[in-house]
Amino acid sequence: MATCEVKADVTGSVWKIVTAIGQKVDAGDTIMIVESMKMEIPVIAEEGGTIREFRIAEGDSVAEGQTVAILET
Amino acid sequence: MKTPPSSPSATDDWSAEVDELRRRRAWAERLGGDDAIAKHHAERRLTIRERIASLVDEGSFQEVGKLTGSGHYDKEGRVTGVTPAPYVMGLARIDGRSVALGGEDFTVRGGTSWSGDRKKGGQGGFVEDLACQYRIPLVNLIDGAGGSVTSITRRGHAVFPGVHGFERSVELMGSVPVVSAVLGTAAGGPAGRAILSHFTVMVRGNAHVFAAGPPVVERSLGQKITKEDLGGAHLAVDTAGTIDNAVADERECFATIRRFLSYMPQNVWELPPKIASDDAADRCEEALLRIVPRSRRKPYDMRRLVELVVDRGSVFEIQPSFGRAVITALARLSGHVVGVVANNPLVYGGAIDVKAARKQTHFIDLCDTFHIPIVFFVDVPGFMVGRDAEVAATLREGMRGVYAALQASVPMYTVVIRKCYGMAGMGTTDKNGLDFKVAWPSAEWGSLPIEGGVAAAFRREIAQHADPKRREAEIEAELRAFASPFLTAEAFGVEDIVDPRETRPYLCRFVDAAQAKLRTSLGPKFKCGVRP
Repeated sequence: MATCEVKADVTGSVWKIVTAIGQKVDAGDTIMIVESMKMEIPVIAEEGGTIREFRIAEGDSVAEGQTVAILET
Repeated sequence: MKTPPSSPSATDDWSAEVDELRRRRAWAERLGGDDAIAKHHAERRLTIRERIASLVDEGSFQEVGKLTGSGHYDKEGRVTGVTPAPYVMGLARIDGRSVALGGEDFTVRGGTSWSGDRKKGGQGGFVEDLACQYRIPLVNLIDGAGGSVTSITRRGHAVFPGVHGFERSVELMGSVPVVSAVLGTAAGGPAGRAILSHFTVMVRGNAHVFAAGPPVVERSLGQKITKEDLGGAHLAVDTAGTIDNAVADERECFATIRRFLSYMPQNVWELPPKIASDDAADRCEEALLRIVPRSRRKPYDMRRLVELVVDRGSVFEIQPSFGRAVITALARLSGHVVGVVANNPLVYGGAIDVKAARKQTHFIDLCDTFHIPIVFFVDVPGFMVGRDAEVAATLREGMRGVYAALQASVPMYTVVIRKCYGMAGMGTTDKNGLDFKVAWPSAEWGSLPIEGGVAAAFRREIAQHADPKRREAEIEAELRAFASPFLTAEAFGVEDIVDPRETRPYLCRFVDAAQAKLRTSLGPKFKCGVRP
């Protein structure tokens, strides 16, 4: 089964993970929310799939382009 | 009756020469030969002649310099063939309007420079003179690596840099639209030529642009790097912004060039073309009433907002993947061309970083040069902050954007959607013109946002309080009561507050009225001073 890396678009900190391991998501769904420049920036699934792994936890810092989750597609 | 001296006799016949002309033209059509063409096609690349035919109006290409090249002759001195010069150019029409265009022929010696009595294309070539003298747009279809060290043996001496200089290319930047497409590997002169353009585009995965390619990099720095990693679209477009837009293939590339030119005048002495719009100026979109979330922390889709306001289907985004904190696009309002600068709250809350600033500066210069009014859709918390931003000289690049806006003399409209703070906020206003600012009810502004400002300005009072966090929140709430846009509107500090749904009719009305000023301010723009 193919996998797909979900990357953060902006540098900031992980405010809230709104999905769970094993959860099915569609393309365009919000996987987690990163707080950056006092804004809640959604991290969006670019394709549909099942969440296999989170690479970060709530409160962690993330950098622009960092992989934050792995999707099974 | 006597025969007039000019009447043709049996010996006055030029058929043989005309036949040679026909044969010479046919040799030119063969480019670098079947094998070279097949190899080029195998790389998923069109020949220069196919490129021109795909780009321009059918049958409109009038080639110039088709006979150039290296002739081959037999013992009797009869011509047996000509290897064409590796550059094809001339005059054509795009959507009915004349353009000068040309490009390297990669199938002949990899499109390297050719030295005849006069250069055909590239910097200082005939095609640049044609665009300049006739005041028509120039399209460069670039697929070449520039000079070759082998020319030193041909000439018997080394040429000084700039023997074919960029002076004409620079002159064109202030007089006619220049578009460059990178369709193969562009290094050296052709790469530099591409940059001296108003709009650049390259094919993702099949085109590369750099000052020097992998062999030179390895020799100079010991770095082993692939062409794609050094100058593919991911680096040149998305990361560095060296080239504006990336496209999937050559077909999309030509459609993109035609689209860009549809917003451009033929030259700076004319206005951009107005088209008949079937989109009513008084169209009011209900969705605009709910597009901005009430929570200041929640972003929204600025691209959709812009699309709901301007003429349907008229948005053409420039540099969509670079400097993403700001969106720059050509669009239309009631058929008139406008430039859109819109902050993107999804990327760093719309804060202007060094890339966004560079993109905004270039776009403002583009609009000002071609007499295109600018509409700012403002949601900017300020310049990007933090150590990385300071290392990148965001302040300097940001102020350069402010400087460019202050030098511009086209009409500008400031529509404050949400945040308008600080120097970046000031850079969205028409301070030298009407300084016309309208706001949505969701708008807020100031010299700096209240949150950060309170902690700094009331530091002692907050620190000395029994519950500093609570005191900070109280002060923020007290100050926020003054932040209503209606209070500033009472003082005429903004000229109007509009129902978001009325944004389109409002802008259409004023952009239409501004045409008189635009019509009477035509010509090149000379800007003095030293940009920061």
